[in-house]
Amino acid sequence: MRGSDKLSDHFFQPRNVGDANEPSFTGRAGSFVCGAAARLSIQIDESHNISEAKFRAAGCEVLISSLSILTERIQARSTADAAAIAQTPEALLGELHRNSNDSHCVQLACDALLTAIRKYSDAARDEWNGDEALICTCFFVSEQTIEREIKQRGLTTVREVTAACNAGGGCGSCQPLIVEMLEALKGPDLELSDML
Amino acid sequence: MIYLDNNATTAVAPEVLEAMKPYLSNLFGNPSSSHALGRQMNRAVEDARQEVAALLGASEPGEIVFTSCGSESDNWAIRGVLASQPNKKHIVTTQVEHEAVRNVCRLLEKEDYEVTWVSVDQNGELDLDELRAALRHDTALVSIMLANNETGVLFPMDQIGRVIRERSEAVFHVDGVQAVGKIPIDLKTTNVDLFALSGHKLHAPQGVGALYVRKGIELPSYIVGGGQEQGRRAGTSAVPNLVGLGAASKLARLNNDHSRIERLRDHLEAGILEAFPNAHLNGTADRSKRLPNTSSISFEYIDGQSILAHLDHEGIFVSTGSACHSTTHESSPTLRAMNVPYSLAQGSIRFSVGRYNTEEEIETTLTVLPEIIAKLVEMSPYQKELQSF
Repeated sequence: MRGSDKLSDHFFQPRNVGDANEPSFTGRAGSFVCGAAARLSIQIDESHNISEAKFRAAGCEVLISSLSILTERIQARSTADAAAIAQTPEALLGELHRNSNDSHCVQLACDALLTAIRKYSDAARDEWNGDEALICTCFFVSEQTIEREIKQRGLTTVREVTAACNAGGGCGSCQPLIVEMLEALKGPDLELSDML
Repeated sequence: MIYLDNNATTAVAPEVLEAMKPYLSNLFGNPSSSHALGRQMNRAVEDARQEVAALLGASEPGEIVFTSCGSESDNWAIRGVLASQPNKKHIVTTQVEHEAVRNVCRLLEKEDYEVTWVSVDQNGELDLDELRAALRHDTALVSIMLANNETGVLFPMDQIGRVIRERSEAVFHVDGVQAVGKIPIDLKTTNVDLFALSGHKLHAPQGVGALYVRKGIELPSYIVGGGQEQGRRAGTSAVPNLVGLGAASKLARLNNDHSRIERLRDHLEAGILEAFPNAHLNGTADRSKRLPNTSSISFEYIDGQSILAHLDHEGIFVSTGSACHSTTHESSPTLRAMNVPYSLAQGSIRFSVGRYNTEEEIETTLTVLPEIIAKLVEMSPYQKELQSF
């Protein structure tokens, strides 16, 4: 492991090692195959952007450098942007110039991040006390908006709902809730499996 | 460079290189040729054979067959024994063998052979009663290594041989690859029938090995052709390599350096175990039951791959588990068989000292490690557990 490439840089000088200040949301991920373990914690500010991101991990160079890069990249980004980054591990793998043997290491890092975002999202939904129920925290979409779109356009799948109003297109933690709404508002002929 | 990975491979000894050189330039004949050059080559090969026989304590040089490597020797021994006893379909081996034995046995399980995988305890040691109980009337082969490549734990080859002979007619094969050159071996006083060695573990080059075949054991040939090695293993003799192996064998036999290497290993091992509360030795603490050069140490709650990368960055070369595992991410079967928990197995490093290591190198390693371990401990997601140390 020599040289000044990105992987070596982030492995030997990892950024953001530690735990985010409270209140924070922590995502954990682990592998039974290689025994690696990671946790990534984030803090969200009032604008719903990531104000702090830290990690701790025991694992190989690919895992450590992935977590270092991810925690750096998501600073000041929205959870929607961070979720998009977490859901494209192949891009990160390419950036590190590693092949598919290491894809599960990058995946583990991304899983830890996505889990952290989803934890925030669940908590944000619970704490929300606005007039309308909040369903999608990544794109800030209310229950009323989603219901209106489903009824007006005759939507039947989560994908269609996302296309119409962004809901469910970020971390994905609200997708089961959207499915419930589709189920409740559907016509008599549709099956649940048609809605995904 | 500080090379602490001698169980993976060793540097070609300068004496070995010197011995080989003429055979890589003007002495280039084929030992099977009838002219003077060929005869000279043949003498060189037979001299090498005598050296290997002397190192292993064979009764006669004719018991040594040259191969390309330890894996070839192991594969040939196992398959050859089974082929010569078609009515016996049972094999006994251990859970901690090198891949060259383990993977052949796995394949054989798919080919309608039954394999009993004798277990080891937390110290990596065999239970001879379990072995005794595993032997059956239809056991064709018992294959048990002499020294474990990862932990260095030694199996009691003499006793095992006696147990097998008391109980069965099974052929006794030993993968001796890691032991040769590190501990004294005298096969004629044992019941070992087949014994594999690999040149590159004792300062000869890669690409040469041997199989000891006890006089009286018949093994079918798989590589047939020009009748080399008394018709047992065809292929033009790799004269430079064989000369190298002969020279390396002689060096190993006459070498009185074993205790110096052992002192280096002991210093490194004790230094690490004292300095790091989360460091644990893998394998029996009884050093007389381990190779004198090997130290497998687990650093709990941190990752071995990361430790290796940091040491690599400092020019210090070691292994995690054994070299064969480095491309996969799986934890070592040997450590799993010893019931080493994940939190320890994942942080294992194998240090294997060799002839050319110095006290200074051990000191440097001990100086470099604390910062590396501290950095990884800080990064570990197991902070609560680490604080209990």
